Amino acid sequence: MFDTSISVNDLLFLAQGAWITILVTAISVFLGTLLGIFFGVLRYQVGPWWAAPITFVLDIFRSIPLLIQLVLVNAFVGIVLRLQISGFTVACGVLTFYTAAYCAEIVRGGIEAVPATTRRAARSLGLNWFQDMRYIVAPLATRVALPSWIGLALGVMKDSALVYVVQVTELLKSTQILITRLQEPLLLLTIGGLFYFVISFPIARLGGYLEKRWSND
Amino acid sequence: MFSYTFQWNQALARLPQMLEGALVTMQVAIMSMVLGILIAIILTGFRLSGNKFLNAVAVTWIEIARNTPALFQIYMAHFGVASFGIHFSPFMSLLIGITFNNAGYLSENFRGALKAIPETQTRSARSLGMPPIMAFRTVVLPQMLRISFLPMTNQMVWAVLMTSLGVTVSMNADLYGVTQDLNALTFRTFELFAIAGVIFYIIVKVINLGARLIAARLFRY
Amino acid sequence: MNKFLLIGGLVAATSLSTAASADMLDDIISSGTLRCAITLDFPPMGMRDENNEPAGFDVDYCNDLADALGVTAEIVDTPFPERIPALMSGRVDVGVASTSDTLERAKTVGMSIPYYAFENAVVGNEDAAMESWEDMKGKTIGATAGTYEAIWIEGQIEEWGEGELRPYQTQADVFLALSQGQIDATVSTVEVAEANVNSGNFPGLVIVDKAPMVPDYVALFTMRQEYGLLNYLDLFVNQQVRTGRYAELYAKWIGEGEPADLTIQNVYR
Repeated sequence: MFDTSISVNDLLFLAQGAWITILVTAISVFLGTLLGIFFGVLRYQVGPWWAAPITFVLDIFRSIPLLIQLVLVNAFVGIVLRLQISGFTVACGVLTFYTAAYCAEIVRGGIEAVPATTRRAARSLGLNWFQDMRYIVAPLATRVALPSWIGLALGVMKDSALVYVVQVTELLKSTQILITRLQEPLLLLTIGGLFYFVISFPIARLGGYLEKRWSND
Repeated sequence: MFSYTFQWNQALARLPQMLEGALVTMQVAIMSMVLGILIAIILTGFRLSGNKFLNAVAVTWIEIARNTPALFQIYMAHFGVASFGIHFSPFMSLLIGITFNNAGYLSENFRGALKAIPETQTRSARSLGMPPIMAFRTVVLPQMLRISFLPMTNQMVWAVLMTSLGVTVSMNADLYGVTQDLNALTFRTFELFAIAGVIFYIIVKVINLGARLIAARLFRY
Repeated sequence: MNKFLLIGGLVAATSLSTAASADMLDDIISSGTLRCAITLDFPPMGMRDENNEPAGFDVDYCNDLADALGVTAEIVDTPFPERIPALMSGRVDVGVASTSDTLERAKTVGMSIPYYAFENAVVGNEDAAMESWEDMKGKTIGATAGTYEAIWIEGQIEEWGEGELRPYQTQADVFLALSQGQIDATVSTVEVAEANVNSGNFPGLVIVDKAPMVPDYVALFTMRQEYGLLNYLDLFVNQQVRTGRYAELYAKWIGEGEPADLTIQNVYR
């Protein structure tokens, strides 16, 4: 088991892949969350009828495999429009909308969980819509939504393993490249899997802890 | 405006093959769901059993399933376990990978659902003379499944979407695999994958609709 | 007002795009970089060295081409199924990726004259105890998805009426599955087969037989309407052979023996 030809160089190569995984995830989750909040609030404000087009488009991102989304957008941008956009940008773009689609649902759920009476009380105290959203809804909805949001962010990190189809060498792809050369599948896969686990597990635990703590009061 | 010429008829000519693939996709998803629910119930039982070893088995399973990519789990089910001389066909590898994932997520959902069922119910069932397993099966389990019905529907959708990962273990009978094979032959990437996307979309909508009908029937009281 | 702006913008965009699509050969020379699609999963044609840097026959070939053009080469690692999409989407200029010049592909991209020709071999797992290529009948056979070999095997299986093809995503996965005994045999180029069997990475593999296929001629490829560049590629391949560079690269990456003959008797190109 410990007789291996993996060198320090190879571990650095893996670390580089891990960095790309983190970068893609961070960019997509950040932008996707902003977009998701925007869409979520919009959907809640304008009502289900007017929001139907947005709901439909966002629903597509949740109803077809991410792999197909990536292949399709990549083919459309590159082959049909012939735009010079890097695979990295395509990956971040698709994952951003993928995140936004789930995030909009979470945000909507969060807003709906705030009792209407609380909001009416706020408005009757003279707060305008924006103040109501900012000081009443946001803090309360965040409590409800944060655990799901953490789950979503971790989900995006794990799903980012699929961006290899648009030629982004992230962690799992780096692992496969090393397997090609070194032929130690089990050991290398374990290292790769361990990396995801080490990042995901503590954050998931934190999410669980927050959920428990906040649901008690 | 576009210099690209779409060739939809070339891609549409392959629709029958793709629909056959869609059937295999459904087959894998349904089997993985049935097995996943059964295993998840067992894992939940392990966690409630109070036995340290059984609890550790369940926790390890659940945490690995929830904290590593599904692609990794499927790849492991094929290439990883083969290092121990255990060989699974592409179909089996994909099925095992998705089932593993389903069981982990569902078990966590079940645990959440159990919290919503008052402890007093189990105690009253026991005081009526039911053995623990029977109390669980007849009193707790039905409620648990009902509370987790929505998460189960979501997991079913994910199971369908996850079948697309089978190509990494040389699965070529499912919808994604068939599409990729056709793409290698004809290079109509955009057209073929757009059609595949539409088929996946329809499958997911049918599942959601079906789940709503089932829910309306089962939970009307 | 807005409408005029929009129309003006569209006109500007159209004229820009016509100016940019002058000629790919000019574009490459003026940009100073030649972007080659190479499959780095196909030793000894394309692979990675100990520092995980690109190396191999195709990598050197791309570097030579860049030298001839007076530009620097940029190697874009492209798995087999992605080669043509990578070109079509403008991510690369030229494919130097051991690509068989099939008529189906030529509908989409333009092929140069062949720059290499592969013979194919049947590689088996020792446990499968195979004597000749015909013993593949009824066995589980792996190949890299979308390759010439995979298409040939699929045809054979259909003819035999038994057996199973497993198309893996990469060549490495095929050999991994073969050494694990998940598949009984594979068909790959003699070069790849020898490199993998001799590497010592895969115990238990044997080269069984030559596969009775027409030699697999491989070509450089680029956009099919770029005649200027396609002409240049043809001449470049010719010059590589003429100057002895082809034989030199063969000796460097494949080893002893004569490099494959790139001409076909009794027919023009």
